[in-house]
Amino acid sequence: MNIRLKPSDIAKASDCLCHIDPGELSLLPPPYEDFNQRALTPLKPEKINNIEASLDDTVAIGIPKPATKQEEEALVRQFLSGLKKLFEKENNWTFLQPLMLSMEHCAKCQTCSSACPVFEMSGGKDIYRPIFRAEVLRRIYRKYLKPGGKITAKLNGDIDLNWTTIARLAELSYRCTLCRRCATVCPIGVDNGLINHEIRKLFSQEMGIAPKEIHDKGSVQHLRVGSSTGMTPPAAKDSVEFIQEEMEEITGYKVSIPWDVEGADILLLHNAGEMLAWPENVGAFAIIFQAAGISWTMSSEAAGYDAVNYGLWYDDVQFSRVAVKHADIARKLKVKKIVIGECGHAHKALTVIADRLLTGDLNIPRESAMVTLEDIVMSGRLKFDPLKNNFPVTLHDPCNVVRAMGIVEPQRRILRKIAPQFREMTPHGVDNYCCGGGSGFAIMSGYNFAEWRNLVSSRKKFLQILKAFEGEPPDVPKYVCAPCSNCKGAIRDILHYYHAEERSGLHYGGLVELVVNALAGMKKPIIRFGEKPSWEAK
Amino acid sequence: MGFYVLSYLCIMVFIGATGYLIYRQINLPLHVRWEIYPVQHEITARTAYGGSYMEKVNWWNDKYENSRINELKYMVPEILFLRGLWKENRSLWWFSFPLHFGLYLMIATFALLLLHACFTLGGFSVGVVSFLLSGLIVAAGWSGLILGSIGSLGMFYRRLTDRSLKDYSSFSDYFNIIFIGLFFISALATCLSGDSFLEGAKAYTFGLLTAGSSRNLYVPGQNVAGFLTIVSASLLVAYIPLTHMSHMFMKYFLYHNVKWDDVPNRRGGQMEAAIKNNLELKPTWQAKHINADGHKSWRDIASSAPKEMK
Repeated sequence: MNIRLKPSDIAKASDCLCHIDPGELSLLPPPYEDFNQRALTPLKPEKINNIEASLDDTVAIGIPKPATKQEEEALVRQFLSGLKKLFEKENNWTFLQPLMLSMEHCAKCQTCSSACPVFEMSGGKDIYRPIFRAEVLRRIYRKYLKPGGKITAKLNGDIDLNWTTIARLAELSYRCTLCRRCATVCPIGVDNGLINHEIRKLFSQEMGIAPKEIHDKGSVQHLRVGSSTGMTPPAAKDSVEFIQEEMEEITGYKVSIPWDVEGADILLLHNAGEMLAWPENVGAFAIIFQAAGISWTMSSEAAGYDAVNYGLWYDDVQFSRVAVKHADIARKLKVKKIVIGECGHAHKALTVIADRLLTGDLNIPRESAMVTLEDIVMSGRLKFDPLKNNFPVTLHDPCNVVRAMGIVEPQRRILRKIAPQFREMTPHGVDNYCCGGGSGFAIMSGYNFAEWRNLVSSRKKFLQILKAFEGEPPDVPKYVCAPCSNCKGAIRDILHYYHAEERSGLHYGGLVELVVNALAGMKKPIIRFGEKPSWEAK
Repeated sequence: MGFYVLSYLCIMVFIGATGYLIYRQINLPLHVRWEIYPVQHEITARTAYGGSYMEKVNWWNDKYENSRINELKYMVPEILFLRGLWKENRSLWWFSFPLHFGLYLMIATFALLLLHACFTLGGFSVGVVSFLLSGLIVAAGWSGLILGSIGSLGMFYRRLTDRSLKDYSSFSDYFNIIFIGLFFISALATCLSGDSFLEGAKAYTFGLLTAGSSRNLYVPGQNVAGFLTIVSASLLVAYIPLTHMSHMFMKYFLYHNVKWDDVPNRRGGQMEAAIKNNLELKPTWQAKHINADGHKSWRDIASSAPKEMK
């Protein structure tokens, strides 16, 4: 039942503020009707006994319950201390102006809600409105940190601040993928997605609260061992060696991936997850660069072979550390530019956000692989046979590449050249919908969070994919091109969860695989529908 | 004279509060880029689909370009006609547009009234220009009052009846819309009660320029509607910059300093100097991994490892 919830309700004690009952989610078309009555697997009581799990039917962080009332009060004070710091230039120069403007000028018109895929797909659950969490923060800020706030709260919107409010707000900040579709449609320019980002920062930077997948196992591990995957430099080199062998076996093309070449034109930064989950992507890049005669290198220095920067989603300090590390590696290698592989958040992190962090010789030119690839594909250096890609192809737009960077057309121009059955999703480009795995969701799978992602946050993308291939026979293999590792992970999971390969012939992959697949003269195709990749079959 | 004093005070509050809001914005530290596409000052070919200069190979070798014309082509219909709301939230637009356009027409009417008063002061109270101005004042005034009244009543109705708006509306949201509505309706009532040509407004504006001491002085408060019009208009002018309704002009910063701020940082430039200053700021975040003590700068912390791994 869709219970009406206002921002002030977040403070009210209850076991679960918001349930999603079977049948409440947006309907899926045939042949997926059997999923329409599906609800989240209930959390096991013994697993959530000691953690905060009173927001909805899932858990993203798993904050330990405070043992005493005093501990709760101390946490509330810590929260307020962090909130105050968000408005101080010493602590938050990075986002102070955008935050202040978005905090002060919302007209509460709800235009943002209708743009949010999580809110829409949840069947209109109030807590998932982009404005809900933003309004909670606004009210706490005005009431507890502004002079006379406790009096004006009666006029401007009241809220109680207790541990329940805070624990739920922390969890709620991980129900938004930071796709910023809400910010695009706001007539005033208010960015409730940014406020969500700032809430996450407050919890991480002041209270040390963040999902373990993106902090302990993510940015901390990245800086400690060299990759958020846990891969050390020798392991990365081993993986690449394996990829070289596999590429030759799969495609018949002998490829050599260069390491640590000083003075190369390009330092290529991959999301290291590609090496483990989609090695063909790393191999395909190598084939293209080698065939086009590009001067390029990868770095074997810790963090230099993993482009990810999870700090982008939750912590400016962790973000800065990783960005500086990446830039410093490029500086030492004396490369002309850094090219970021098919990883959306790494694009935005290093190209756009870090732009006002890197100074002097750390400010090394940075370019999207979409742009580099377009230059190669259109230059005539490589010959293509588009008929090798003569199957239906659609393109997913990673929010961080498209909406956050305005890199929209290069990947399309490539597809128009090499994929004769390319068709767009609706909407696409800067109006796209998130894959549902943004802002860390694709790698978060504790408790039943992965199921929540598949059912709720990725649902809109799944509907879009189905729509793009409407009218195609189910047995015709179809390719969802997702040039971003996190998006690919999320799409892989939805296709698997909904049995979409079996029911609709849906497959997914990156852009470079399509480019290599269309290369004239390649002995064997890199894309083989229905066949397990050799590294999985072994 | 009390009415004029009130009006002067309110205008002073408006100038002071607006000045403070703008001063505060321009003195904030440079923030990281957080633009969102489409960025409307991009070149025409790219604004069509929301592209950026980063779509070009080696974009850093080119001069940063932006097009004021493209920006205006977007902003003028956005400001005047609320194009974004028309596209994304049509049902609200039907009331929001008349409210906002009504306010714009009131600003235009006031500007025309001031011009008319200046002409009168200069001794040009008759003639073609004065006649034309009077016509414009009547046209802008009447249409603004009608639109504003419809808009404010409609928005009040929507806030009361639309669940999603109601759940987020506080006392001050209702107060704001009633306040604006009070001004529009009392001003409309004034015009309807025998002042079709806004002679009272003309005389009052003239009085504002002469501190209420010259000829052609309007004696306010001749009826309740006139009294309410002057008081509510004056107070509204002071009140708007003190509330979120300042988005009428603060939208400039939301768009130009955040949403469309795509200026790249170049080595040795002014922006780099500002970044270097920011990197010397000393954070005090308390989480263990930050390792901040109030003495280390952002630069120190960014080039160190998190505490957990030491």
